[in-house]
Amino acid sequence: MTLHLDRRHFLGLAGATAAAAALAACGGPSTSGGGQATSQAADIDFSGVKPAAKIDFWSSHPGQSQDVEKSLIEKFQAKNPGIAVNLVTAGANYEEIAQKFQTAQAAKSGLPGVVVLSDVWWFRYYTNGSIIPVDSLTKQLNMKMDDFQQSLVNDYKYDGKQWALPYGRSTPLFYYNKDHFAAAGIPDRAPKTWQEFGEWAPKLKASSGAQYAYIYPALAGYAGWTLQNMLWGWGGGWSNQWDITCDSAESVAALQWAQDSIYKDKWAGVSSKEAADDFSAGLTSTTISSTGSLLGILKSAKFNVGVGFLPGGPKAQSNVCPTGGAGLGIPSGITKEEQLAAGMFLDFVTQPESTAEFSAATGYMPIRKSADMTAVLAKTPQIKTAMDQLAVTKVQDNARVFLPGADQEMAKAAAKILTQQGDVKSTMTDLKSTLQGIYDRDVKPKLKS
Amino acid sequence: MTRQLAPHPNAKPKRPPGHPAKVPRRRWTARSRRDFLVFLAMALPNLVLIAVFTYRPLFSNMYYSTLDWTLGSPTATVVGFSNYVTFFTSNDAPKVLGTTAVFTVVTVGGSMVLGLLVALALNAKVRGTTFARSAVFAPYVLSGVGVGLVWLFIFDPGYGVLAWLLRGLGQQSPQWINDPQLSLVMVILVYVWKNLGYCAVVYLAGLQSLPQDVMEAASLDGANGFRRFVSISLPLLSPTTFFLLITTMLSSLQAFDLIRIMTPLGTGTSTLIYEAYLQAFGAYNRAGYSAAISVVLFAILLVITVLQLRFVERKVHYS
Repeated sequence: MTLHLDRRHFLGLAGATAAAAALAACGGPSTSGGGQATSQAADIDFSGVKPAAKIDFWSSHPGQSQDVEKSLIEKFQAKNPGIAVNLVTAGANYEEIAQKFQTAQAAKSGLPGVVVLSDVWWFRYYTNGSIIPVDSLTKQLNMKMDDFQQSLVNDYKYDGKQWALPYGRSTPLFYYNKDHFAAAGIPDRAPKTWQEFGEWAPKLKASSGAQYAYIYPALAGYAGWTLQNMLWGWGGGWSNQWDITCDSAESVAALQWAQDSIYKDKWAGVSSKEAADDFSAGLTSTTISSTGSLLGILKSAKFNVGVGFLPGGPKAQSNVCPTGGAGLGIPSGITKEEQLAAGMFLDFVTQPESTAEFSAATGYMPIRKSADMTAVLAKTPQIKTAMDQLAVTKVQDNARVFLPGADQEMAKAAAKILTQQGDVKSTMTDLKSTLQGIYDRDVKPKLKS
Repeated sequence: MTRQLAPHPNAKPKRPPGHPAKVPRRRWTARSRRDFLVFLAMALPNLVLIAVFTYRPLFSNMYYSTLDWTLGSPTATVVGFSNYVTFFTSNDAPKVLGTTAVFTVVTVGGSMVLGLLVALALNAKVRGTTFARSAVFAPYVLSGVGVGLVWLFIFDPGYGVLAWLLRGLGQQSPQWINDPQLSLVMVILVYVWKNLGYCAVVYLAGLQSLPQDVMEAASLDGANGFRRFVSISLPLLSPTTFFLLITTMLSSLQAFDLIRIMTPLGTGTSTLIYEAYLQAFGAYNRAGYSAAISVVLFAILLVITVLQLRFVERKVHYS
């Protein structure tokens, strides 16, 4: 027998195998005909269920929280010696952890007991039937739901049920270089409106030596989140309920102002990777970044850091700040015993003492009203600004948090406007068409009527 | 791959005149049976692995491409070829196919041309070529993620090394990361830098195996270095060029790690394979649609390989 595998056939086989390998990347879910599933809102009865001896906790360690998460787990295990919690680094950010969770869902194996889920992901988990409502657990474990910050806990309510609990919750903050402000003769405070900042910016740029007076957050880093501040200030938004309004005159005016700050007035830029790092490095005099960046900035900046509320706009001076950050959810594809153990862990990490400890380590907001923040505020008084701003936050636009891929589309549109000087009106018209398509195709059929 | 069995190579079929030719029945001899068993013992484990881990997902993926399926959802709806229609009728197709074409043509051309030039330099008999060969090849074996992160720092327009150098010359850094067109240029530059070492080493091996007597004869006939390169080296290197053309094209069409690390949103850099990733595992979770894009990539890879084997190889001089 002779086997002829000449060069020609070898290359052909290599091509076929490479092409096949390109297809082999997708995981193997079991699918069948029928409609898409959503999570069942029925209460789960946990009476008589014993908690599992071990659960995994999937986290992306928001706000560099790995150490404080380990500390909380140790305390939980000391209090509940029969339950071991295994902390798993399931991604470097919310998207990576979501990717791992969705893949585990498709594979129907390796699911955690508790998973970190961001503001833009939990609703998708709900529509996919991937998470359970936690109401029966909160009742059975006597969790004091009225002690939670209501605006934060309400973010995870849908169809009359609670689908997650807040964890590393944040708002954007206005960060400014106090030294630059002093040198420019500008009041030591955040601007009340963007128009006021527009008057300050040329002075700041001239006197500070920094490359920019203000740097817009990196577009890959949730541009859709922070830009809501400007859109709302001008009376616009990404959407009004399910009505996409990103191409309204107000929204276009807001983004035109942003574009002018870069190309016409030339005092602003756009961060390439992380605005907080650019600010700490002295590249810019001001920026907007998450409260979760606060401790990192205070640690690395070699100048006096000031923080303040987000500026308003010509139409709205208050309630122009979105909430954000992550919550914790419990998968539907695990045993009741694991779900109960996960609920007990959720109960522990959302206790007032736990949230105060988490807040002290990260800069995220305490999620319980009764959390004693005295020691934390004595050490980091800037956290108070974030806590106070919570009272004037606004629920995020549906288009940003509930439409799959909307954040990416918003970031691409922002890139066109802020980095390529694209026409604002036509870019927003195109974005509206894209977002409407996502809503009609991926969300509308799954909404409860 | 063909399998020849039993009869002696010179044996001719015997048949009476006027009778139609009969295909001789192949008979297993003890030797051929033994050889076949050896073949099975050697190849079967690998064939099983390929069947399970490559061809099973391949056919599964083709099936998924006919579904409206959200990643993570336990149920899906059969939609036939709707995902393909959506892709080819949307604004995505021209952008993604165009980006894929530009990325592939420039990276393949750049890696091969620069690789050949570097190979010519490394082929010179001067001191330090051993070190230079290692240095040129090293990026090829480095992790794409690590390379991407380092180059991202170099390109950072705020505090990157390149920006620092440009500021020294009184110039502002281009917005390599935020500008979609420059993002593509950035990723192409890094990809070519990382992969030209592979082309250089393969070309170097080809150059060192060229027959010296032909070169010497050409020199005696008065051909200068450039003429010898164009008229002798280049044609004789055509098997190497053909091999590199196929392998680098396949690898460029599947380039992922650098694009993922350097441009996570894929703005301006969304090639077919990265678009497939973004649609399924990015924020969109459109697994069925993503599978359809993967099948399109599969078809393109197959067509390119077949075309190259059919038409390009005819120009190749194997000796």
